[in-house]
Amino acid sequence: MTNSKFQPSSLSQWWKANRRSIILPLLGIGGFLLFWQLSASLGLTKLSGPLSLWTEERTRDLLLYPFFDRGGLDKGLFLHTMSSLSRVALGYSLAAIVGIGVGIAVGLSQNLNRAFDPLFQFLRMIAPLAWVPIALVLFQQNQPAAIFVIFITSIWPILINTAEGVRQIPQDYRNVALVLQMSQRRFFTKILIPSALPYIFTGLRISIGLAWLAIIAAEIVMPGTPGIGFFIWDANQNGYVSDIVLGVIWIGAIGLLLDRLMAWLQTRIAR
Amino acid sequence: MTSLVSVQDVTKDFPLSGGGHYLALRGIDLEIRKGEFISLIGHSGCGKSTLLNMIAGLDLPTDGTVLLAGETVRRPGPDKMVVFQNYSLLPWLTVRQNIAIAVDEVMPELTTTERHCVIEEHIAMVGLSHAADKSPQQLSGGMRQRVAIARALAIRPKLLLLDEPFGALDALTRGNLQEKLMQICNEHELTAVMVTHDVDEAVLLSDRIVMLTNGPGSRIGGVLEVDIPRPRQRLQVVHHPSYYSLRSEIIYFLNRQKRVKQWQAKSHRVLPRHGLEKVNLDLGFLPLAACAPLAVAEARGLFRKHGLDEVQLVRETSWRGVTDGLVDATLDAALMPSGMPTWMTAGGHGDAPLPIVTALTLSRNGNGVTLANRLAEQGVVSVEAYRDYLLQHNREPHTLGIVHPASMHNLLLRYWLAAHAIDPDRDVHLQTLPPAQMLADLKDGSIDGYCVGEPWNRRAQVEGRGIPIVGDLEIWSGHPGKVLGVREDWALAYPNTHIALVKALLEACAYCQEPSHAEELSALLSDRRYLGMRADLIRFGEDAPSGRAEEWQPHHLFCGPGVNRPSRTEHLWILTQLARWAEIPFPRNYVEILERVCGVAVYSTAAREQGLDDVSYQRQGIALFDGRPFNSDDPIGYLNQVSLHRDFSVAEISLSVPRPLSE
Repeated sequence: MTNSKFQPSSLSQWWKANRRSIILPLLGIGGFLLFWQLSASLGLTKLSGPLSLWTEERTRDLLLYPFFDRGGLDKGLFLHTMSSLSRVALGYSLAAIVGIGVGIAVGLSQNLNRAFDPLFQFLRMIAPLAWVPIALVLFQQNQPAAIFVIFITSIWPILINTAEGVRQIPQDYRNVALVLQMSQRRFFTKILIPSALPYIFTGLRISIGLAWLAIIAAEIVMPGTPGIGFFIWDANQNGYVSDIVLGVIWIGAIGLLLDRLMAWLQTRIAR
Repeated sequence: MTSLVSVQDVTKDFPLSGGGHYLALRGIDLEIRKGEFISLIGHSGCGKSTLLNMIAGLDLPTDGTVLLAGETVRRPGPDKMVVFQNYSLLPWLTVRQNIAIAVDEVMPELTTTERHCVIEEHIAMVGLSHAADKSPQQLSGGMRQRVAIARALAIRPKLLLLDEPFGALDALTRGNLQEKLMQICNEHELTAVMVTHDVDEAVLLSDRIVMLTNGPGSRIGGVLEVDIPRPRQRLQVVHHPSYYSLRSEIIYFLNRQKRVKQWQAKSHRVLPRHGLEKVNLDLGFLPLAACAPLAVAEARGLFRKHGLDEVQLVRETSWRGVTDGLVDATLDAALMPSGMPTWMTAGGHGDAPLPIVTALTLSRNGNGVTLANRLAEQGVVSVEAYRDYLLQHNREPHTLGIVHPASMHNLLLRYWLAAHAIDPDRDVHLQTLPPAQMLADLKDGSIDGYCVGEPWNRRAQVEGRGIPIVGDLEIWSGHPGKVLGVREDWALAYPNTHIALVKALLEACAYCQEPSHAEELSALLSDRRYLGMRADLIRFGEDAPSGRAEEWQPHHLFCGPGVNRPSRTEHLWILTQLARWAEIPFPRNYVEILERVCGVAVYSTAAREQGLDDVSYQRQGIALFDGRPFNSDDPIGYLNQVSLHRDFSVAEISLSVPRPLSE
């Protein structure tokens, strides 16, 4: 809701209503950065402070020009991010398709659920990094292996939430379908999917974060392919601490953006 | 008979998750005619929703069958549409889409335009055209339920099933929706089955009300026909003469179920102690002045004194509760009207004859006839005046209240009316009412008067609602009032307990009779556990009744020569009067019945052990005000002589062989 008349009085009212949710986060973040910078400047840690992003010329260039491409692996941060994101998109889409499909099957069938639930519960406990060697053995190449790691990491929340969503379809809705003698197909499209949609989206939102976590892990361990993970690995090899800090901040920002995007989708689609 | 739905000997057993099973319903038989509206009512957990689900096909019976239009119901279908308690609307669809999903599914043969017409018609029918594009979350509960009803009706079901449809709504919305539903049902001649726990709703909407007993193993405890003509108006049905009797019938049923449940919840192991077979007794009583001996025995520890350590007084609201309590043996013994032992023994309560023993007459006298003030204001203060009044107003119904067909109030009132040439069935209508309701009915003018025990005559006078026109001393001075009654099989199983109980109550009766205790009795009975009313309304004064103009004085006799001993002659007189008014046929084997009803031996033993002089008892004749002799050697001859009587029959009442109650 926006005010059509943007008058000073309404501006001051808006400020009054929202100042707590603006000032307090600013104070918190500012305090944290100050502490970090002070501890770096006083030599308490070897980690460079936030100001080094600007003071280090190499890092400043990376910060200011994210789009350059000098060929090979020498690219701007944005381009690294894009190749990471494309891998995430692939692995995550696979995970979504398989996860929702299997989730519905498991949610509908008590027997399937009994058969596979222990396995799922077990597999979802395995950390992304632990999958890397298995993926490399399985696929022999970095690119498909990285996508597999994303897939296997992000599938579980989608699968488990979808199954739960299907199980949680209220008996009332099932009764409506029963009394109207709906066909399987109509039940699926008219009742099952709409009813389980909020659960599915909860799964998707949790998974997008996991997928992003997994790609960094995969790229750091599988160097030689462009990506934000490789960028950090490379900076580490060269001892560019401020570059690492920049890469980490970049990762956090992208992860946050992805999560917000899913949250927005969730409110739009699954009301 | 064209029955649309036929539920035949249906049983439902649910397996429980922890092993074992729960028997929800047992042997349910129900025929539902086309166009009928049926309500299922009962306490929660009685299986009424289960029964509905089985008619809907959402659940299948473990045993028995449900037929819809001659076909076995095996699965749910749109021909038996359900309106669920929580509406079951799909929240991601609008009102219109919610109805459309049903119409599209069930009526694929219609064209799109035709379907559209059906949908819009039903949205308009429940008055929701303005909200057709809203989602269910934007609607109030009442509106949602209207959508659910529209969805159900749009697919033209043969049978409409409603599961507590208005349970979650506020009273105003509920009332409006009830009228709307009635109107729709009338217009479309719908057949409907509704589960409800609302007594008024059931009476308002139904043609028949099916009452279910408590689970496990619920059965149909009774079916009531609602004879209120349609179309009905919510505010007008309450004035129909049947309304309150139907309502109180259902409430009585539900209360009875609750009481049985409470009784079952407690342990009922027979506790033998002090050489008595059973010392834990449930004694039924009604809040009347005549319950004084029971109250005294409890308050003064007389039960305990005679070894009965755990006696519970169970207050019932009507004599019917006492009858039912003895029939299902939830009561050990009860205070009852003196006609009840012979009436139940002869099967007057409608079931198989249940032999009842009375070994003690607890009170005599204490009754009176009261007429409403509005009659007194027209000068109707005597029976002759009332007869003239009835002749002048013979087009209107005239109702007099009695408490029970087998009570002395009924028999004395009828005797007295008949002696004054008023036919107690044709000139007036005698209605059975709980004593506590009589005063209320006198106030609102639905009855002309009543014959009841104290304190209700005095209370009518003190509150200025009625004038006592005759006391029982003027009809039959010293008539038996209330007696102690037990089942015969109980008496045989616990003979020493029976004697101890009679001894305790005899001692209490003697205490009650003492004039100096009158104030104390009033105070005691005013307690909430007994009558729960002001002490000055409950009087045990000794003054003789002195006419209608002065203040009414009750005149109970609790103890004295010949007061407490059960008298065969009196019970025979009662039998003749019950037969005279065709409450029961006159038993050809009346000698056997009197022998089994009158526990004279128990009384004699108890009286002797209490040191009362039992021998001085002499058989007295029965002397009523009209001086007509009662020949106890020829009761049938007497019956043939009385001036007014119904077509009575004489029949053998076959009683089971006496045998003690087994656990």
